[in-house]
Amino acid sequence: MTETIQVGSAVPDFNLTTYEPSSGDFGEVSLADLKSSGKWTILFFYPADFTFV
Amino acid sequence: MGARLITVSCDTHFTHLAWHTVEKQLKDVKFTMASDKTGELARTLGIYLEDAGLALRGTYVISPQGTLLFSEVNFLNVGRNVDELMRKFKAALYVAKKDEGIPPSWNEEGDLTLKPSAKMVGKVEEALANDGNPA
Repeated sequence: MTETIQVGSAVPDFNLTTYEPSSGDFGEVSLADLKSSGKWTILFFYPADFTFV
Repeated sequence: MGARLITVSCDTHFTHLAWHTVEKQLKDVKFTMASDKTGELARTLGIYLEDAGLALRGTYVISPQGTLLFSEVNFLNVGRNVDELMRKFKAALYVAKKDEGIPPSWNEEGDLTLKPSAKMVGKVEEALANDGNPA
């Protein structure tokens, strides 16, 4: 088990490839960009596409 | 509410596109769908299942400063309640603005909060019954 992030600690930067349903395009999202735009981020993980959420 | 909701799984962005296109239930879902194909972020958050190559149902609220303020992990087959998530997100937003305590009965801004003080010690029940003022 790797070390995890405790609530109250900083989340290390991440960069993920995305699909944007609103535009139908692929894109990128990074925590650094979200922080610089002053937005809160909610990450909602689920096991896999094509299963019930 | 000034937040970006991002759904994440260990599928590729191509699979996200295919699923979103085929599944009619997702027709009105406009949230960004992110791919954590290598499981790197899921591993960082401690929710990656190495054997299955899948992530558990983890929910994370991160402030604009990059601080993790809330996390919750459900097992694979337990769905999440959006109202529950929104209550905790609104609570995180509220305490980021004001140094107050959020009682369990709190649902949204305007509901009773508690202001920490010496007078409050041992008087929480009285304060909750008296508009936040320890009698």
